[in-house]
Amino acid sequence: MSLHVDSVANVSAILAELCRARGDATGDAPGSSICSTMNFIVFVDAPVHREWVLERAARLVEKHPARTIVLDASGATRGVEISTSTRQADDAALLGERVDAGVAGLEPSAIISIARELSLADIPTILWWSGARLLASRTFQGLAEMASVVVVDSSGMARDEETIRELGQFVLKYPNVTLHDMAFLRLAPWQDMIAQFFDDPALRDDLFSIAALEIESGSEAEALYLGGWLGSRISWQAIDATTFRARDGRVIRFTRAQKGDKRRVMRVTLESDDSRYSAVLSADDENVVCLKVDGAKAKPAWWAPLHHIDNASLIERAILATARDPIFETSLETVRDLLG
Amino acid sequence: MATEVGARVDLDGVSANPLRQGLDSNRITDPCTIVFFGASGDLVMRMLMPAMWNLRLGGILPTKFGIVGFSRSEYSADEFRAEMKSAIDQFSRSGPAKEPLWSEFANRLTYVSGNFDDPNAFKKLRAQLDENDKTLGTQSNRIYYLSTPPPVFGKIVQQLSAAGLGPKDQAHGWSRIIVEKPFGTDLDSARALQAEVTKVFDEKQVYRIDHYLGKEPVQDIMALRFANVIFEPIWDRRYIDCVQITAAETVGVEQRGGYYENAGALRDMIQNHVINLMALVAMEPPISPSADHIRDEKHKVLSAVRPIAPGDVAKTTARGQYGAGSIEGKPVPGYRDEPNVDPHSNTETFASVKFLIDNWRWADVPFYLRSGKRLGRKYSEIAVNFRQIPHRIFGEAGDQIEPNTLVMKIQPEEGISLRFNAKIPGPKMHIRSVTMDFNYGTGFGVVSAPAYERLIGDAMRGDATLFTRWDAVESAWEIVMPILENWKATPAGDFPNYAAGSQGPASADALLAADGREWRRI
Repeated sequence: MSLHVDSVANVSAILAELCRARGDATGDAPGSSICSTMNFIVFVDAPVHREWVLERAARLVEKHPARTIVLDASGATRGVEISTSTRQADDAALLGERVDAGVAGLEPSAIISIARELSLADIPTILWWSGARLLASRTFQGLAEMASVVVVDSSGMARDEETIRELGQFVLKYPNVTLHDMAFLRLAPWQDMIAQFFDDPALRDDLFSIAALEIESGSEAEALYLGGWLGSRISWQAIDATTFRARDGRVIRFTRAQKGDKRRVMRVTLESDDSRYSAVLSADDENVVCLKVDGAKAKPAWWAPLHHIDNASLIERAILATARDPIFETSLETVRDLLG
Repeated sequence: MATEVGARVDLDGVSANPLRQGLDSNRITDPCTIVFFGASGDLVMRMLMPAMWNLRLGGILPTKFGIVGFSRSEYSADEFRAEMKSAIDQFSRSGPAKEPLWSEFANRLTYVSGNFDDPNAFKKLRAQLDENDKTLGTQSNRIYYLSTPPPVFGKIVQQLSAAGLGPKDQAHGWSRIIVEKPFGTDLDSARALQAEVTKVFDEKQVYRIDHYLGKEPVQDIMALRFANVIFEPIWDRRYIDCVQITAAETVGVEQRGGYYENAGALRDMIQNHVINLMALVAMEPPISPSADHIRDEKHKVLSAVRPIAPGDVAKTTARGQYGAGSIEGKPVPGYRDEPNVDPHSNTETFASVKFLIDNWRWADVPFYLRSGKRLGRKYSEIAVNFRQIPHRIFGEAGDQIEPNTLVMKIQPEEGISLRFNAKIPGPKMHIRSVTMDFNYGTGFGVVSAPAYERLIGDAMRGDATLFTRWDAVESAWEIVMPILENWKATPAGDFPNYAAGSQGPASADALLAADGREWRRI
């Protein structure tokens, strides 16, 4: 069921239409009910990302019933669209309510006010921010203050590095808000791949004699985060954008090459004193990685499944992880040091 | 001496890997070989091998693992691999197995052909396991999965011991055994099997599988009860009138007539799945989520189930057998016309039982359990019916003020619904029942793993929470034995007594009607 309100300014009219939408969706059947696990605020401003973001938001709330508040600054939405969804056409239980508000050109204070008044009390508020700017945006700051969890994606942006720098500041500025960057969450399978090499106790000491790290990826954020994660796990200190220093003073070269699709890692290579560890995405199957150890500790190549996580699942992980993630935050800190 | 009794030991030191700290990974850390007895059977083909493959695809299997198939069928290792590939292609939820991962997986698959009482075959098995330790690095960690017909469980355990494959024979590493249901066919046979098993394995090394307990909504029952404060204070005889647990199927016995003839609904469903659900609903809060604390509480509540005296069986139970009828608009045959079924069979395809639990919480609250095949709808649920309000002050004369009902839906829908009463808007004080539903969706991304994947993974990790401990199995047999004995001694005279596609036999309705209640509609 979908209804339209001409102006975003009249919140009481929006709420009245929400009530009407509920009644229309269920035929005013006594016994209709609605379940909401969260207020899910989605902000999007780039027309090119709009469909991608909204499609994934819709998939997420199919699984986690929510009041979804889409703040569309792309200019594609005029006025306010109000809709409700049910699992089945004749189902009396509503799965979700959604308000799509066209907010292009509105003052930040007005946007924040709309989001605040439309949010339900007593349930967590999750902000998925797909805007061009972070801390430079007053809208972002105001919405982030309402949220318990903020989800962003620094990968594939025009300015991956700049975004990550801002995230570093965000963590310091908002200690009570849990931040998740999908670019980091997306790396979990690759972290597992790299960890696999050193599950073998016979190879573990090599982790502390690594002299070079090379990462090929389609966008910068993945390479930075993977380097930051590895460095923070084994106490490397970032010296500059291409150099780490280990505790024992050893210098580690960090090389990043842009190759392949955005948001995808293609290859990770680690060189120790006498061996070379490589994890390379298969050319034939993007779900398979070839792992290999050459040199003194050579092992035959083996194949491992790369458990890609789709974007809706990434957001799901983010909204379910309500506590701050120290692994992410120390990785982010290392990346911030790398970037200077 | 074995170095491990059930508990997890980090033999390859994965947790010492600094890169693993904080990593959100379900990877199983201990290397191991899993042996599937009955490897050419339907269960391995349809469920277990696809489950292993999906565990591998999901990055959950340890980096060092092996799989050995053992059965009577004559296969070479390559033929066995081809059979397993075909089974995975057909039944895996992830679709056909693809290269290069399939070859990587297949290289870890080997096969031993032999009878379950043949010492030489078990010597070959031992040689294969030793070979796996050397070539795959499985470090003498072993899981034996008995996916065979129950009568050979005892023989396999004996032969494992005779071949020096029992845990007590191990210098290092651990051994566990997974036993498919049913664990015995009655109390005596279950005790005899337990005696055989415990000659070789300690109780903590025995994983009695009940795939029902691996289902997500079954695990949700404990979350509903013990992660909320609003239900537990009213979860007792003061507020609850009765509990109805239903496990209804639309399928018949299909190709399982031979097995089912000797089982029946009481053994096949009530003694294990449904009684386990009752235990989860009725048990006291465990002091922790650990396997033994939960299983202690389940055992306590099953121990409190009032034994049914032989003379009371007729008035506390009902049984049925389906005749011809129609399911989803299509005609289906009666049970006695199914393959491998005696045309004069006395086996019940429907069972319902009224149990009472003699403790402070549940005294005099009936638990009505029912399960049957070829019923009108496939669904499983637990309905907690609350008492009527003590004094009516609202509602017009014609209004029905229904008691509250909390329903935990298990399948096909998963979720919770609560019925309560509300005023209909308007000048009069009309009251009517409304239902509030909550269903978590499963529409995308990482959906819950099927029960077998979850349970095999848990056994490999050494987590026994979702497996049934012997004391609960024994209690469940003790609970149903008077009924089994009575039904055996007094063949039903009215079979078939319900039509396929119906609500079950009239005697089941009469069981509740005698208490002034009625079943929720199937």
